[in-house]
Amino acid sequence: MSTEDDPGEDLRVVSQRIPAETEANDTVVVGAALVAGLGGVVFGVGWLAGWSLGVIGTGAGVGLLALGVALRRYVVERFPDVEAVEPRPEADRFEQPRIADVPTVPRRRLLGRLISGAAGVMGLGFLTPVVSLGPSPGPALTRTSWADGVRLVTSNGQPVRPEDIAAGGVSTVWPADNVGDEIAAALLLRPAVDPAAPTNLDWVVDGNLLAYSKVCTHAGCPVALFRESDEALFCPCHQSTFDVTAGARPTFGPAARSLPQLPLGVDDEGWLVARGDFPEPVGPPVG
Amino acid sequence: MTPLFALLFEKLDERLQLRTPGREVANKVFPHNWSFLLGEVALVSLVVLVLTGLFLTMFYQPTTDPVTYTGSAEAFSGRRLPGAFASVVQLSHDVTGGLLFRRIHRAAAHLFVATVVLHLLRVLLTGAFRRPREVNYHIGLVLLVLALALGFTGYSLPYDSLAGTGIRIAYSELLSVPLIGPNLAFGIFGGQFPAGDVIPRFFVLHILVLPGLLIGGLAVHLALVTRQRHTQFPRPSIDGHRWVLGKPLWPSQFVESTTLMLWVSGALALSAVLVPWADITLKGPYVASEVGNSAQPEWFLFWVEGALRLFPALELDLPGVTIAGTFVAGAVLPGLIIAALVGYPFLERRVYGLSGEWHVLQNPMDIPLRAGCLVGFFSFLLLLSAAATNDVLSRLWGIPIESLTWGLRVTVVVVPLALAAAAVAVSRKRLRRRGAHVPATEG
Repeated sequence: MSTEDDPGEDLRVVSQRIPAETEANDTVVVGAALVAGLGGVVFGVGWLAGWSLGVIGTGAGVGLLALGVALRRYVVERFPDVEAVEPRPEADRFEQPRIADVPTVPRRRLLGRLISGAAGVMGLGFLTPVVSLGPSPGPALTRTSWADGVRLVTSNGQPVRPEDIAAGGVSTVWPADNVGDEIAAALLLRPAVDPAAPTNLDWVVDGNLLAYSKVCTHAGCPVALFRESDEALFCPCHQSTFDVTAGARPTFGPAARSLPQLPLGVDDEGWLVARGDFPEPVGPPVG
Repeated sequence: MTPLFALLFEKLDERLQLRTPGREVANKVFPHNWSFLLGEVALVSLVVLVLTGLFLTMFYQPTTDPVTYTGSAEAFSGRRLPGAFASVVQLSHDVTGGLLFRRIHRAAAHLFVATVVLHLLRVLLTGAFRRPREVNYHIGLVLLVLALALGFTGYSLPYDSLAGTGIRIAYSELLSVPLIGPNLAFGIFGGQFPAGDVIPRFFVLHILVLPGLLIGGLAVHLALVTRQRHTQFPRPSIDGHRWVLGKPLWPSQFVESTTLMLWVSGALALSAVLVPWADITLKGPYVASEVGNSAQPEWFLFWVEGALRLFPALELDLPGVTIAGTFVAGAVLPGLIIAALVGYPFLERRVYGLSGEWHVLQNPMDIPLRAGCLVGFFSFLLLLSAAATNDVLSRLWGIPIESLTWGLRVTVVVVPLALAAAAVAVSRKRLRRRGAHVPATEG
C-alpha cells in the first residue's frame, strides 16, 4: 500500500473533472483582476492623499474580494478538479530500536531521584521573582485616606456645607486633597425618610444627612444611582441595591455586605468633615 | 513552474531534500464540508488581527498618566485624558487610516472569537474530539481561553469608561480568591487598582505574551491535524476509518483557502466602512468612581457577567478566609465550565465503553449522552449570557429588575436540565425506532 521512498503513491485519485474553458469565464477573470488592481490603487493613493475612511476601506475591501473572484474563476476553469483518497496513518508501521534499550551500566535509582529532586527545588526557587510583580497589599485594602477632621469635597474640590444638600439630594464626595482616590469615594445624601437603625445615628448630621462608601461591596463598581422612590442606592453593574435609611444594608442583588458608613460631622467653620475612617474595609470582599 | 522558480527549487532541494516531504504536503487530502471552514476563517481573522495590530501598536501609548489632549477631536480638545485613551483618540482622528484599522481590528476580533467558538461547537457535535484527537482537542481549548484573554485585554487597552469598569470587576474577582487574593490582584495589577500598572501590563500581555502563546499553540494544533489527518463525514463510497477522501492541498485546497482568505479580509474591510465597530469607546475616558447604565462587557464574556449578576447574595465567612459570591460566580463556575469541556471526551468513552480510534464524524443524535450534555451545556451558557443584559431586558419588557432576575435565576438552572433530559429522550427514541445502538468501536 505504501512505500517509504515515495509517499506520492499514497494518493489515489478517485474522480477527476477536466474543466471546459470558456471565453465568458476569461472575461470574468480579466474584469475581476482589473477591479482588484484598481482597488489597490484607490487604497494607496487614498492613503497618501488622506482620503476618507470610506474610500480607503472600500478600495481595500472591494479589491480583496475581486482578487479572490479572479483567482477562483481562473483555477476552476483551468485546473482539473480532483478528488482523491489517502490512507490514514497506521500505528507501529515499523519498529525501530529505542535508544533506551541499548544496555548501559547498572543505574542507581537513588541518584536519579536526587537529580529530579534538585531540579524540582531549583524550579521552585526560580519562581520566586513573581513575588516582585506587585507590592505587598499591606494596609491598602483596609484603610482609606479618610481621617478625623478631613473635609468632604466635591469632584471640583469644593468643600460642602450641610445646607448644600437639599432633601433627596446626593453628591459624590472625596477626602480633601484626595479627589479621584477611587477607594475613598463616598456618597453624601439626604434621604426624604429619616434613617434608623442599623444606621449609626451618631454619624448622621441634621438627623438625615449621611454618607456611605461609593464602592460596591460586590465587585467594586461605583454605586452610582440613587433611587428616591424607595430610598435605595443602586449599582448599575450587577444591580445590587442598598437601603439608605437602614445602614445601606443590601436588599437585592449579589452584594452580601452593607456599604460602610462614613462617620460624618461639622467642623468649627461649618464645613462637613469626616470624624474618622470607614469603620470596616470598603469595596469587594477579600478572599 | 517558471524557469527561475524551478532553478531556485532545484538548488534548495539539493541542499534540503524538499522533494519528498514537499510532495507529501502537496498531496495531503482535505475533506470537503462547509463546517470545516470555520477554523480556517478563524485563522484568516488572526492574520488580519496581527497585521492591523502591528500598525495600531506603533501609535498606542500604554499609560494611565494624564496628558493634555491637543488633537483635532473637538469633544476632547484641551482636556486632561489618560495617556492611553488620548493616544487612541489621536490615532483615530489624526492618523490616516487609523480609525479604519482600529475598526478592522475590532471586527476581526469579533469574527475570530466567534469562529473559534463555532469551530469548537462543530468538533463537539460531530465527535471530532474522540481518540486519537483528544490531545488536539485539549490544545484547542487552551487556544480558546487564550482568545478570550486576548479579547479582554484588547478591549481594556483604550481605557475608556467601559474598559475601566471591566478592569475594575476583574480586579475585584482576583481580590476575592481565597487566601492569595490580595497578593494575586496586586501582583497582576502591579498595585491597587486604579493606581497600579494595569495598562502597561495588559499591553505586554496583549501584544506579546498572549499572541506568542496563541500562535505557538496554533502551530502545534495545525501540525497535529496534518499528522493525524482530518476526520470526515461518512461517505458511502469509502471506508472512512482507513481512508480520507477529499481534495489535495495543491492546487484545489490551496485555492480554496487563498480565496477564503481574500474574501474574509475583504469583507472585514468593507464591514469597517459600514459599521463603526470601534468608535463607541471614544465616548469618554475612564473616570474614577463613575459608571454608566447598561455596562456590558464584550459578548464573549456575557456568560461570566450573567453569572455575577444572578448569583445570590451569599458569602461564607470562615476564620481567616472568605468565600465570596464573586469568587464562586466569577472563578469557580467558569473553572467548572472549562473542566466540563476538558473532561467530556473521557466521560463519553467511559459511559459507552468505547475502544479504538475514531475518524468518521457522527450525528450528535446518534449519541444520546452527547446530545443531552451539549444541549444542556450550551443552553446554560446562552441563558447566562442573556442574564448579562437583565438591566436592558428589564427596561425593554417593563418588568421590574427584581422579578426578572429571580425569574432568570430559576430559568438558568431548570431550563438547561429540562432541555438536556428532552434531548436524551428524543435521541434514545430515535435510536430505538431505527433499531440502532451506540457502537463501541468504529473499525
